[in-house]
Amino acid sequence: MGAAHPEAMAPPKPGRTRTAPPQMPSTWWSAPRIRTYLLFDATGFIYFLVGFHAIHMIRALGEGPEAWQAVMSSLSHPLYILFHVVALASVIFVAVRFFRLFPKAQPPSIGPAKPPPGNVIHAMLYVVWIGITLVMSLALSGVIF
Amino acid sequence: MRTLLLKLEPLIWFMFGQGILIGTMLLTGWILVIGILMPLGIVDPANLDYTRAHALATSSLFGILPIGPLLLAALLVLPLWKGAHHVRSLLIDFGGGERDSFVATVLYLIAIVGSGMAIGAVVGL
Repeated sequence: MGAAHPEAMAPPKPGRTRTAPPQMPSTWWSAPRIRTYLLFDATGFIYFLVGFHAIHMIRALGEGPEAWQAVMSSLSHPLYILFHVVALASVIFVAVRFFRLFPKAQPPSIGPAKPPPGNVIHAMLYVVWIGITLVMSLALSGVIF
Repeated sequence: MRTLLLKLEPLIWFMFGQGILIGTMLLTGWILVIGILMPLGIVDPANLDYTRAHALATSSLFGILPIGPLLLAALLVLPLWKGAHHVRSLLIDFGGGERDSFVATVLYLIAIVGSGMAIGAVVGL
């Protein structure tokens, strides 16, 4: 574990305040906050895999009934089920963590409009997330539409 | 390459932000039903046979707004950008600042190619 490069993701012009180069503590694996932070980034791998797998499925859907049937049947493999359990845990983890950060990242005002208080935004995100998940699940399961 | 990456940063950040927000919201139900409930037989996979899956994927609202293809394109494209940006960030944290320009270019190229494949797959329905 070396030091992160000080110029990585830095703006082209340095800021007025001098800052020490960021360094990963050698004890990162025992620091829960860093571990959670790294885990949050590591979900990127899962998103890549889920994204490309979903593309693979839709290509099969475009090829016709046999290809679709084959790709749907392949999902019963225990490794696929395990992967999707990990993927579900990942998206829930990302949602919970990101929705908590989201209100803090809002500007104090957008023109004359002020964003709602943080806890209202936080609650709204949960309502939308649960709503979309519910509609999506019911639609895919054939209950609605 | 570094200058180009910095110039494109707003666009990359936008796609990443949508990936984490909209991508996550769309993926939860998708993974739950297609990846877990149907393979385990809790939901009958016959409810998403070819005819119905194709109808859902190509459905439109009031015959004008292609809601199915739009949602599907978002579901396929956005997670790739969330993935690319977070994997880049992770690799910087693991001492990869020196090679960031190269790593970032490769990751975003994967996301671009994947996005093209995704849109191709949706258009090809």
